[in-house]
Amino acid sequence: MFDKVLIANRGEIALRVLRACKELGIATVAVHSTADVNAMHVKLADESVCIGPPTSRDSYLNIPSLLAACEITGADAIHPGYGFLSENARFAEILESHGITFIGPKSEHIRIMGDKIEAKRTAKKLGIPCVPGSDGGVTDEKEALKIAKKIGFPVIVKAAAGGGGRGMKVARTEADLVDAFHTARTEAKAAFGDDAVYIEKFLEKPRHIEIQVLGDGQGNAIHLGERDCSLQRRHQKVWEEGPSPALNESMRSEIGEVCAKAMRDLGYLGVGTIEFLYEDGKFYFIEMNTRIQVEHPVTEMITGIDLVNEQIRIAAGAPLGIKQSDIKLQGHAIECRVNAENPATFRPSPGKIAYFHPPGGLGVRVDSAVYQGYTIPPHYDSLVGKLIVHGRTRNECLMRLRRALDEFVVDGIETTLPLFRTLVRNSDIQNGLYDIHWLEHFLNAGGMDGTPEA
Amino acid sequence: MRKPMKKATNTKSKAAKTSAVSSPKKAESKVSAPKVPSAIDTDLVEVLARLLGKTDLSEIEVEKGDLRIKVARTLVGASVAHAAHVPQPITAAPVQAAVPAASAPATKADAAHAGAVPSPMVGTAYRRPSPDAKAFVEVGSTVKAGEKILLIEAMKTFNEIVAPRAGTVTAILVEDGQPVEFGETLLVIE
Repeated sequence: MFDKVLIANRGEIALRVLRACKELGIATVAVHSTADVNAMHVKLADESVCIGPPTSRDSYLNIPSLLAACEITGADAIHPGYGFLSENARFAEILESHGITFIGPKSEHIRIMGDKIEAKRTAKKLGIPCVPGSDGGVTDEKEALKIAKKIGFPVIVKAAAGGGGRGMKVARTEADLVDAFHTARTEAKAAFGDDAVYIEKFLEKPRHIEIQVLGDGQGNAIHLGERDCSLQRRHQKVWEEGPSPALNESMRSEIGEVCAKAMRDLGYLGVGTIEFLYEDGKFYFIEMNTRIQVEHPVTEMITGIDLVNEQIRIAAGAPLGIKQSDIKLQGHAIECRVNAENPATFRPSPGKIAYFHPPGGLGVRVDSAVYQGYTIPPHYDSLVGKLIVHGRTRNECLMRLRRALDEFVVDGIETTLPLFRTLVRNSDIQNGLYDIHWLEHFLNAGGMDGTPEA
Repeated sequence: MRKPMKKATNTKSKAAKTSAVSSPKKAESKVSAPKVPSAIDTDLVEVLARLLGKTDLSEIEVEKGDLRIKVARTLVGASVAHAAHVPQPITAAPVQAAVPAASAPATKADAAHAGAVPSPMVGTAYRRPSPDAKAFVEVGSTVKAGEKILLIEAMKTFNEIVAPRAGTVTAILVEDGQPVEFGETLLVIE
């Protein structure tokens, strides 16, 4: 087991990792930018090292600074959290060459899944069902048109180096396609430095359903059920729940086993999430995330498994101690990502939190690094915290969520709490009748118009 | 009894000593103490303050029963003492015992201290070009802008740290082989 882990992240996930390390008796090093000197996990860590000025590029993404911090503290492993360098294969390799363990998958798997074209190819080989699309990258518009006509409109042009909802353009007609193709390439080049694009069938009303997997890199892997993350705004997940209101036990175990077997065949090490679009009873692979995800608590609440703890143990060389038959989904969980944004316009609202009172009680979990008097810095994401609620049934979960949301107070800044209070009272949401476009349609149709403050 | 939260003052360093390195940040000039229990404590505070002055330490913290006393100082001379009554653990929020607002101004104030030369990187500081050579500068040395004052090593690469302006070195806050973080005050040139 590691003696000392350096947490290369910030905010709520840094605190999450710190908690897991402490529970495993591992010494913790918090690295932080000058803007995060008052972060909760910095206060709680055994040691801290300031690694740079506020900008992410000069601090949390600064590989030399992170390595130097490992050197001066003697950390023997780094946990990258999510975002930042968590899916940077080069970073994983650099750590390896320095004899520091990267708490995550093997760098080759990060690399394969980071390139969306390669990821799809690999998924296909592993027997994971995929969205019909181009076989690899598309480099000229004639080819693009041919493929689109073959798949059938509407289609979507996606950046190979993109992911997380970025770098995508929809085309409904042939005329649209030429435009979409060229725009997607230009944008991809600008945003990711790589203009490679591929084309897929565009599904009209799919749900976003993802499967959590866990492998020990020694040929053992299991799935831990699904999360339904269909409620998104601009491709950013807002509300996640598990199990999905759309799946039954047999569909779940079928797709789950396909994913688990794929991970066994791949020799995957660590946690991962295989994301699908689901429509009319069929699953379509879109991408795999080779890291711990923001919404991992949903799975933790319904399975009772501490995913970060498993990540650390497996990275330290332990074999998978859990069998598939040990995984039983109990009850229902919902997570709301509370952001420091106006609940109707989503304009960012960083600043000082004058009054903070998180909800409590049975089945209520708040993963947040925020505290009374804390100032949310403007340089990073706007996540205030995650409210995760569990109930024995989906209905009990919804009632508990409604209660917990009404108890939650964050004064001094604007937050998206009013959005969730509205959603939890909405009949489509209560009936689980939504797809990946639902939230945007709801907002565009004025769902949050006239919402009073907080 | 809840363990007081603290920022690390003991990073494992090659010099392997209690580090006075983070003292400028830890110098809390603001006191958040609700109540000071009894007269006995002032004696203890005096003892601790004297101990502080006699040693290289920048901070001493003592817990006695449910009383916790911390005496800390900045290296520019002022001794700061505050007593905190450790609250009974009835609330879940750890923030009751923390002084988040106080430490931020202290950090900024210190870094803004005219003449402070902050570290531009994370690494291990060395005061001389090689183990048997003379130190680049001593307290009292006059330096020109651009003159070498320290080396900071990270991953086997030595980086030259130069004086940002001309002046006299009035304080040197690092020792040979001491780990330093970004923004940490290395020395003071006035």
